[in-house]
Amino acid sequence: MHVPKRLSVGRSLAILAAGLIVFCAMAASPALARDTLTLAVKGEPDDGYDPTLGWGRYGSPLFQSTLLKRDENLNIVNDLATSAALSADGLAWSVAIREDAKFSDGTPLTAEDVAYTFNTAAKAGGKVDLINLDKAEATGKYAVEFTLGKRDTTFINRLISLGIVPKAAHGPGYARKPVGSGPYMMVEWNEGQQMIAEANPHYYGRKPFFKRLVFLFTDEDTSFAAAKAGKVDVVVVPQALAVQTIPGMTLHPVKSVDNRGLMFPTVPDTGKTTDKGAPIGNDVTADLAIRRAVNVAIDRNVLVSGVLEGFGRPAYGPCDGLPWDNPENKIKDGDPEAARKILADAGWKDTDGDGIVEKDGLKAEFTVIYPAGRSIRQYLALACADMLKKIGINAKVEGKRSWDEIKHLMHSCVIVFGWGAHDPIEVYQLYSSHHAGDGWNNPGYYTNAKVDEYLDGAISAPGYEASLELWKKAQWDGETGSNAHGDAPWAWLVNLEHTYFISNHLDVGVSQVEPHGHGWPITANIQKWTWKD
Amino acid sequence: MSTLARTPALAERLGITDGRGRAMWVLGLCLAYFATLLLAAAFMGDAGLSTDFPNKKLAPCFEFPFGTDWLGRDMLVRTVKGLCRSLGIGLLAATVSSVVSAALGTLSATMGKRTDAVVTTLIDLVMATPHLVLLILVSFACGGGATGVIIAVAVSHWTRLARIIRAEILQLKQAEFVMVSRKLGRSPWWIARRHMLPHIAPQFTIGLILLFPHAILHSAGLTFLGFGLSPHNPSIGILLSESMRHISTGYWWLAILPGLSLLVTVKLFDVLGNSLRVITDPKTSQE
Repeated sequence: MHVPKRLSVGRSLAILAAGLIVFCAMAASPALARDTLTLAVKGEPDDGYDPTLGWGRYGSPLFQSTLLKRDENLNIVNDLATSAALSADGLAWSVAIREDAKFSDGTPLTAEDVAYTFNTAAKAGGKVDLINLDKAEATGKYAVEFTLGKRDTTFINRLISLGIVPKAAHGPGYARKPVGSGPYMMVEWNEGQQMIAEANPHYYGRKPFFKRLVFLFTDEDTSFAAAKAGKVDVVVVPQALAVQTIPGMTLHPVKSVDNRGLMFPTVPDTGKTTDKGAPIGNDVTADLAIRRAVNVAIDRNVLVSGVLEGFGRPAYGPCDGLPWDNPENKIKDGDPEAARKILADAGWKDTDGDGIVEKDGLKAEFTVIYPAGRSIRQYLALACADMLKKIGINAKVEGKRSWDEIKHLMHSCVIVFGWGAHDPIEVYQLYSSHHAGDGWNNPGYYTNAKVDEYLDGAISAPGYEASLELWKKAQWDGETGSNAHGDAPWAWLVNLEHTYFISNHLDVGVSQVEPHGHGWPITANIQKWTWKD
Repeated sequence: MSTLARTPALAERLGITDGRGRAMWVLGLCLAYFATLLLAAAFMGDAGLSTDFPNKKLAPCFEFPFGTDWLGRDMLVRTVKGLCRSLGIGLLAATVSSVVSAALGTLSATMGKRTDAVVTTLIDLVMATPHLVLLILVSFACGGGATGVIIAVAVSHWTRLARIIRAEILQLKQAEFVMVSRKLGRSPWWIARRHMLPHIAPQFTIGLILLFPHAILHSAGLTFLGFGLSPHNPSIGILLSESMRHISTGYWWLAILPGLSLLVTVKLFDVLGNSLRVITDPKTSQE
């Protein structure tokens, strides 16, 4: 019995020694290898890194490259494409692509791959909106022709956001092991933990300074603690924490169109359910007066200064400040008096003296749901609930730990959602009745025939410029619309500023105005990042 | 001089000179603390839980003895409500655990060898699993949420008390007075009622009370790790995990005061259990 015991002591000593060596090596490595960058910027995709299934739909897919892209000032510039032109009838895009592009496995990127990517994404029917694409065809080795079934003024945004995948290497396992023509290629991905990427040796663009990127997928608190311990170079923190200081790091706030808002179910509960069994409708929020009153009662400036510590601005629509935003969306908010009047005019009165208004025996109560892991959404929900209490609406706040639970409840409860893209198609997805109950789009089943008309009109307008007016009209045309003057299917709350802490030694150049935080918007200009001592 | 002369008399009248009297006093004070806590939580109302941005991040002061958090919520209210929630979970879990352990302990001691083997194996099995792992597994299996935490804490704390009760009954069965009673023709029911119960009852009550702090700490631990309740509900574990990110920047009151309150509450349960033992245990009750 003694021999094995001694053996095990010896073994544990050996393990200890090995551990010490590894530890020393790890402790020493940051000083040596400054071509490695560690980022804790969230954004791990559930579905993997397949652009045809929606990866990178907000831009900057990192592993793949796109035909066009937006620069720091949101101007559209060529990336893979050398030219892109729309035919006079608006039904055909012809794109020529560069001839020196290669995928990270060394195979050349040709027009065949581009056509394959678009056709596959259109068939996948996922998060990439290619409903109007008839077909994509390679007309030469480096020329592609996209034929549209209908005119689509937003189609150019798909050229900006859809990363090109290799026809030969694309298949069911691709999302876990992407191969692309982007500045970096994936080396290793431990789901839920970290992902390691290395510079793509075949990248045609400017070679990035950093050879290796390590993305940590930790939650907000862990990331923040890691940053404090000096373990990461870039970390995104909730705005509430941006007032803190981290030694060796500087705050880098980036303007964004990333917004947060309350989504209301706009149809009454008739007992209907979706095909997955999720209940549809909410009798309280189906009343327009409730939705308008909520919009008017909430003081967005207080939310910005209180919850976001000033890192943001009030939101009155899904696309504040973008060219297709209607300036009339802005309302006079933070006005409980006016909100109470709206309620009273619609017949909501407090008859039993409990401080909550009723109408026909129905109490003005609903549940506001936030994802439990997102502190800002939690604080917004709590602050809004308190503001609504003052006008006699009882908003019960509840956190849910999984998106599946939220998906089940989002047709019948008020949800704190976030949107925001450099693409007017989002207005369509949010407000069009064609998207009612379709995935995350329009979960509140909002329908307005007039709005639909404007939205469809905007898509099929003769050109981008002409579409802008129609996008604006869909939000408010003076009589009806989807903003708070109109049907108010949402109460938009705030536009965030994304608050990053970056290492004092890291120069990230000028960051572009970021879209909603899926993926890694800050890496849009990663080729320009450098390390200074 | 007169005070000096009166002091022993007063002390004697109050009963703090003998162990039993002292234990009574301690017991009373502990109960008073818990009653105050419960009453405070009941009468406080929810006003302190609502956001109040002008008053955010205030250090403890006269108006807010525990300070306020980053949304301006009153930390005293949150702490008291959180403690009460933890007490509730603790009470529920301790009750379930003690009922389970009484039943299993008695079964194991009276139903013969085979039952005994099954029950002791079960006890060993539960005890051999790391407690926190078991808690997480069960709460996860029960779908998380408040119910998950309650079930997890309830089903994992019965083992030690079950063992004690089993041992006590086995010992009593061999005791001389029980043997004699049996020989004299008393029915098993009479023996259980007259001879066993008075010995088991104190063990049981004290076991129950000493389960409390465990249950409270474990429910706090589980919520700290992010299982269970919605994060905005005040619960002591959530308060502590939320304050973690703020503590390094000088908002010390967010973590220290709720933490101390938890400590005091748990310690008082311990004191309560021990005093009760002094009073009810036949071996010490006469000291």
